[in-house]
Amino acid sequence: MINIFYNEWRCFLRNKLFIFFTSFFIILLIVVTYFAIIQNNKQIQSQNEAHNHIRSQWDEIDSTNAHSAAHFGTYAFKSNTILNSLDEGINSVTGVVLRLEGHKQNDVAFSEISQSLEISKFGKLKPSLLFQFIIPLFLIFLSFNSYTSEIASGRLKLLIIQGDSLLKIVFAKIVTILSLSFLLLFLSIFIQYTFNFSSLSFDEILRLVIFFFAYIIYYFIIITLTILLSILFKKSISSLSTMIIVWLLWTVFLPKTIGNFTESISPLPTRFELKSDMKEDRSKGIDGHNPSDERRYQLEKETLEKYNVDSLSQLPINFSGILLQADEEYGNKVWDKHFGNVYSILKEQKRNYQLSGLINPFASIQSLSTGSCGTDLIHHLDFLSKAEIYRRYFVKKLNNEYTFVSTKGENAYLSDNVFFKSINDFNYSTPNFSSVLYYYLYDIIFLFSWILFLIFFVILKSRKLII
Amino acid sequence: MNLNIFLYEAIHFTRSKAKLYSYLFFMSICMLSIFNAYKISNKQTQTILNINEQKEIENQKVLDWFDKSNKGPDDKSWINVEDPYWAIRSTSTYVVKEPSPLMPLGIGQSTQFGFYKKVNRWSSTYDDDIVEEISNYERLINGNIDFSFLIIFLLPVLIIIMTYNINGLEKDFSFHKLISIQNNQVKLWVFTRLIFYLILVLFSVNFLILTVGFFNSGISNIKSVLNLILLSNLYIILFFVVFYFLNTNGKSSSSIAFKMISVWLLFCVIIPGSVHQYVSFQYPVNYMTDFLDVNRKRTYDIFKLDNSNLYTKLLDIHPEISLNKDSLEINLDNKKIRRSISSIVNQMNVDAANEIERQNEEKNRLIRFTYIFNPVSYVQNMWNSCTSTDYDSYKKFRIKLKESIQLRNELLVLEIWKEQKVDKESYQEYLKVLN
Repeated sequence: MINIFYNEWRCFLRNKLFIFFTSFFIILLIVVTYFAIIQNNKQIQSQNEAHNHIRSQWDEIDSTNAHSAAHFGTYAFKSNTILNSLDEGINSVTGVVLRLEGHKQNDVAFSEISQSLEISKFGKLKPSLLFQFIIPLFLIFLSFNSYTSEIASGRLKLLIIQGDSLLKIVFAKIVTILSLSFLLLFLSIFIQYTFNFSSLSFDEILRLVIFFFAYIIYYFIIITLTILLSILFKKSISSLSTMIIVWLLWTVFLPKTIGNFTESISPLPTRFELKSDMKEDRSKGIDGHNPSDERRYQLEKETLEKYNVDSLSQLPINFSGILLQADEEYGNKVWDKHFGNVYSILKEQKRNYQLSGLINPFASIQSLSTGSCGTDLIHHLDFLSKAEIYRRYFVKKLNNEYTFVSTKGENAYLSDNVFFKSINDFNYSTPNFSSVLYYYLYDIIFLFSWILFLIFFVILKSRKLII
Repeated sequence: MNLNIFLYEAIHFTRSKAKLYSYLFFMSICMLSIFNAYKISNKQTQTILNINEQKEIENQKVLDWFDKSNKGPDDKSWINVEDPYWAIRSTSTYVVKEPSPLMPLGIGQSTQFGFYKKVNRWSSTYDDDIVEEISNYERLINGNIDFSFLIIFLLPVLIIIMTYNINGLEKDFSFHKLISIQNNQVKLWVFTRLIFYLILVLFSVNFLILTVGFFNSGISNIKSVLNLILLSNLYIILFFVVFYFLNTNGKSSSSIAFKMISVWLLFCVIIPGSVHQYVSFQYPVNYMTDFLDVNRKRTYDIFKLDNSNLYTKLLDIHPEISLNKDSLEINLDNKKIRRSISSIVNQMNVDAANEIERQNEEKNRLIRFTYIFNPVSYVQNMWNSCTSTDYDSYKKFRIKLKESIQLRNELLVLEIWKEQKVDKESYQEYLKVLN
């Protein structure tokens, strides 16, 4: 088998067209990966500057009312991971700025895609675009006649006479073409590793490894299927045209149709419906600025009993702060109910889409690629959840201060700068891949199923084939 | 042109299962895409209907207060709708962008922008409640089955499937010399065969565009429909011209297919992708810190100003208010000035939003500049423009929104300063002005 492998490579290297395209892809990958890293680092720097700018404003707050500071709020900026330069996933369509303030949860705004005219339907020219769309096509063109040309030239018979089995020959061809994709992938990962050597954590290295092997498996599927089709059709052109149609179905048509289908089987509420429902639920609760609410009365009674006083003016604390925190907690419950539902629908849609990996391995590779780079829906929802947890911490801290701050004297209700500075900053970190791995089990299972299925068919066809 | 060759190609097409089924499959997904876009358009229309209904209910509630001589809701004693400040605050106003009647022919960027916004005196054109509808971001990345996408990106592939073996198959089987003997001009023979597919494709595309255009909007959008036809036809012809040269010069069908796919990849994927990456490098995602500053820090700074400073700022924006009172002391009325602050903040928001628009425009200028070598993005944006689903259409929506916010603040300030008691008629007048 090793001899066939070497021989295949020797043949490849004698082919000028192969040399040209391989060189082209190597140069393209180096350039694309390098520029993607530079662009991503620029983006990370820009995000850090925005973050520091906003935090410095917070740190400079003078003596002020803590509730007023809760309205002043802060911002969470969605950060790019280092691996965003490999596959930016959904980052161009999600917003990047989230305002965190008292009383309400805001939507993440200012997506990149809404800041300009439309440019590319397939995304930026990042390594993922090459890995998902272009390299598979290149592999198809390398594989479609690798078997049929052997029959046409009579070399296949010669090899079999010399003692090689057909199965061995077919697998040697698959491994040869796969080794090329291995080289291209390795090159890109190596550049990624070299340029980010100092900032890569163990988790990111693990993600890179998963990214690498996921694509190797996908390429194995592409190459094996193309060769299998050429065995089945016995004509190069039939296997080529069929494989191009399969490629189109996998990469362009099925992701769109299945995406639409998953959305129609688990529909999301419109923003208007969601807001109306939340408003209605919220209005049933305590409105921090509405003194006639029944719950407010109950809370007032409980507080007076707790402090053993008869009126609010006798309280050693600021009752408004308690009221605001109670309203906040009620609002959080409403948010958890409605957005919890939206998040679970989104996850259900993702799961349903992942199931399409059974017929479309592209869905699995896409999911694993964005998942390993931390740029998919799961990571985005994680960012939103952590930002909301921070918002709750932030507002509670301010409400507590507002409750227990002195209510008398010249500085009544005012908190000083030391207090505001003491509030922790929001620093988002991507979850460890091992903690989210279970979201990608379907993808891993389907990719392996495809491998087993194809190997089984190649073995079956090779045994039945009469040369 | 030889009619026999043309007719032979028609027969070949109907007998070639791969070509015929590919064509029929493509036409089916075109219809599916139109149906899908209808659904999106109808969903937007339904949301707008709900908004209007909600708006009517809210405004009617205030009108009922006037009828019953109530000054506001029972549980909010501080509200007095006879006061212009509360009356204007109680008007429910939305600015919406109605879905274009041609949206079924191109969803464009419509899923990336919000299409309605409730306006209050603190609103701005970049508020976070004006973002796109709740949707699955992973689906947004993959995109919708959209008619414009099918024509711009998939139709060339259909053309490849139908034409890759013209003059290539003959070379594969080495009877191309026979063709040369039978037809003096091989190029004309290739051209005639290609013309059949060109006519087939143009007829199919034009039929769908015209049907949807007339069915959905009659002749009111005839100009846009004709523009779409012109644009799509020129685009398709362009691909046929390129493929003609590949067919005439190809050495075998696999070589022609490879070259055709490479052309498609180059123009539809690689060039737009490279431009996208370059533009992103030149203009990274805007975190809009200037706008955030206005929205937060500078707004809070405004609140810290004393009445005299605020009044000066208000006079700059609304010089009319000085005419209503003759004494500066009265003008420095704390309540009126504090209630007018939103107008000063709005002016700052407008300035910050204009700066964002300017930055976005710079980015767009760079994108337009690349149209010279990036024709697919040009066609895509032109198409979106015809279906009113492009960036500029949503920019117009933001301008409309800006005017509405400005109008509300202007009305608020002037009416506060007039100090007139509001009755049902004047409230209805407010509604007319603000809607």
